[in-house]
Amino acid sequence: MPTITRRILLGTALALGLAGAAAAEFPDRQITLVIPFAAGGSTDVVGRIVAERMGQELGQQIVVQNVGGAGGSLGAGQVAQADADGYTILMGTVATHALNPLILKQKPYDPVADFAPVSLLVLVPNVLAVNPELPVNTVQELIDLAKQEPLAYASSGNGTPLHLSGELFKSMAGIQIDHIPYKGSGPALTDVLGNQVPIIFDNLPSASGHISSGKLRALGVTTAERAPSFPDVPTIAETLPGYETYTWNALFAPAGTPPEAIEALSAAAQATMADPAVAARMAEFSATIVASGPEELAEHVKAEMAKWEPVVRDANVSLD
Amino acid sequence: MDLLSNLALGFSVASSLENLLFCLIGVLLGTLIGVLPGIGATATIAMLLPITFQLEPVSSLIMLAGIYYGAQYGGSTTAILINMPGESSSAVTAIDGYQMARQGRAGTALATAALGSFFAGSVATFLVAIFAPPLTAIALKFGAAEYFSLMVMGLVMSVALAHGSVLKALAMVVLGLLLGMVGTDVYTGAPRFTMGMTQFADGLNFVAVAVGVFGIAEILRNLEDEHDRQVMTRNITRLFPTREEFRQMIGPVLRGTGVGSVLGILPGGGAILASFASYTVEKKLSKHPEEFGKGALAGVAGPESANNAGAQTSFIPLLTLGIPANPVMALMIGAMIIQGIVPGPNVVSEQPALFWGIIASMWIGNLMLVVLNLPLIGLWVKLLTVPYYVLFPIIMAMCSIGVYSVNSNPYDLFAVAFFGLLGYVMSKLRCEPAPLLLGFVLGPLLEENLRRAMILSRGDPTTFVTRPISAGLLVLSLAVLVLVFLPQIRKRRDEVFTESDA
Repeated sequence: MPTITRRILLGTALALGLAGAAAAEFPDRQITLVIPFAAGGSTDVVGRIVAERMGQELGQQIVVQNVGGAGGSLGAGQVAQADADGYTILMGTVATHALNPLILKQKPYDPVADFAPVSLLVLVPNVLAVNPELPVNTVQELIDLAKQEPLAYASSGNGTPLHLSGELFKSMAGIQIDHIPYKGSGPALTDVLGNQVPIIFDNLPSASGHISSGKLRALGVTTAERAPSFPDVPTIAETLPGYETYTWNALFAPAGTPPEAIEALSAAAQATMADPAVAARMAEFSATIVASGPEELAEHVKAEMAKWEPVVRDANVSLD
Repeated sequence: MDLLSNLALGFSVASSLENLLFCLIGVLLGTLIGVLPGIGATATIAMLLPITFQLEPVSSLIMLAGIYYGAQYGGSTTAILINMPGESSSAVTAIDGYQMARQGRAGTALATAALGSFFAGSVATFLVAIFAPPLTAIALKFGAAEYFSLMVMGLVMSVALAHGSVLKALAMVVLGLLLGMVGTDVYTGAPRFTMGMTQFADGLNFVAVAVGVFGIAEILRNLEDEHDRQVMTRNITRLFPTREEFRQMIGPVLRGTGVGSVLGILPGGGAILASFASYTVEKKLSKHPEEFGKGALAGVAGPESANNAGAQTSFIPLLTLGIPANPVMALMIGAMIIQGIVPGPNVVSEQPALFWGIIASMWIGNLMLVVLNLPLIGLWVKLLTVPYYVLFPIIMAMCSIGVYSVNSNPYDLFAVAFFGLLGYVMSKLRCEPAPLLLGFVLGPLLEENLRRAMILSRGDPTTFVTRPISAGLLVLSLAVLVLVFLPQIRKRRDEVFTESDA
């Protein structure tokens, strides 16, 4: 009976004349961080690094629980319905808090009304890359080639951020390329490395090893600015002004979580991201640290939904 | 010699006291979770990932790899003793291994599995060391069309898994294919057979289906009739194989190692086929095919060698390309990223100590496993004397925990219950669960690759015969079919597919 325990604790604190310290009581037991994807992916890695360090910051262990399935919707839906006490939080992404709500016909949760934003942690660039046997070296050359012959690109799946990055690229460049969805980045990369499919949109961290070794030719990163880890790779926006997509990771609590708990979590998240050891790990990962407060994250979610809404509509992606 | 100096480097890394210790921890944990039905390597490695922050990259990867192949060893123990395969690869071991156990030859079956696995593991480790780069090039030649043809071959071979009626085996394969369809269509995103439940959006969980149709069904069947079990324990005369049995083992082990090593390299589905393929090969080559399904030693030795060889060679795409062949390998990539190592072709050249250290540790780990497991066989066999009312609730509880821990999805537990009942009904109707599982595993891969190949060829079906590897596999499948249905050799077919006393 966790609520009773907390009430007793709170009562004891009051009796001892520590009334003002109630907020400082959070957290008094372990916190569960739900990662809405299978273990091993980039969101999982970011989540586990953050959970470890944030737990030290809060003085309580943060237990990671992978609730994979339905493109992140299952885990996000679970947190949306969890007790709003700050002890169950979610590692949200562009998929759970912008794309899925736009794509899914049956909405399992509302990304704005059902969640209390905590902190936008990192932005992770995506990359447009080709097999080196494809005779193109720049984004412009790829667009020209696509206008002459049929091409296909691989992505990690239907309705994923990478698929929609590809769709946005197609609509802004005014070209037609077939989309070949895979079950995750791994198999998609395999087929591009083996030149079964010539083009891929992938997360920069998962493709970076192949780009440095020359097995993949990076044509452009999807962020507005070049990635610090690959300063020689231009942005797609240098060819198609205004093109910008990235994957992001942010912490959310269920709506109605007490503001003290949100503040404590947000402060711990920001302190975690300021740790040079964590920053170094994120840099190896090509992730840019944001470490925002709750309000900035709320704004960010709204901006992302506004940005993706027309792309999803134009690409005609919808899932039941 | 480059190879020798590389291996020397590897062994110097792997034999440091610290790394030996982590290798031992890994294989111990792996054996333990392998023996506990349902709890898989995936869940264990995921739980241990945060701990690996604190370790050296080499030590942490050595430990995680140890868990993986340790679980392959341990998994066959439960398949043999209680007909409860924890992973797709040990599903085949359960067919003949469990029959051997029922005849009182549990010790022989376990020893065969351990020795076959050790031999296969050692050979495959050296294959990894020698051939990793060239073999990777072969794996990359496999596109959607080639995978499709490979899966066709797998399905054609699957009929040979049956030791009852061919018709029933085909029906089970088809049922498996249908079950494999449950979930979201990769290409259109349409949900299929999910009954409106998002919990089934990613399909049925393999562990849930396997534990249900094999394990729970077996428990239900045993509850009906307790005599079988007494026979199992009373008849144990010796734990280790005789000289004659060792002689019988050699061929299957060698062939299993070959089949497993080759199929293990293919990312996505290759390793799954290894043990199934080996079983088929052994049954075809055997002078006594009628023994298969009733406790044939070759039916344990071949597939066990194949799955262990496949487990080792599936590290090839991981280490040389940074591409995961299965969910466990995906976790290993996560572990590498956490350590700041970018998986990819550069690992071999930039981190030679890591690369060769892991390879050397695999051999050391295999040695540890066989040393650990042979003396334990007596103990495992004693487990069979534990009375029903103690053993079965424990098994059920472990299974439930294990299945739930994969995705934290309670619907997976409903699936276990459902497939347990289905498995029981199937056993009453004398239908085999193995072809069903193969259909379940191969069906989605078959469909995904068929449609991908068709999109890539822009709707031209000749893509399957104009690509040489794909054409070769299809010709091979056709040859198997002709062999089966050609009337002149019908007599031989009868020998292969039906029980002699049926």
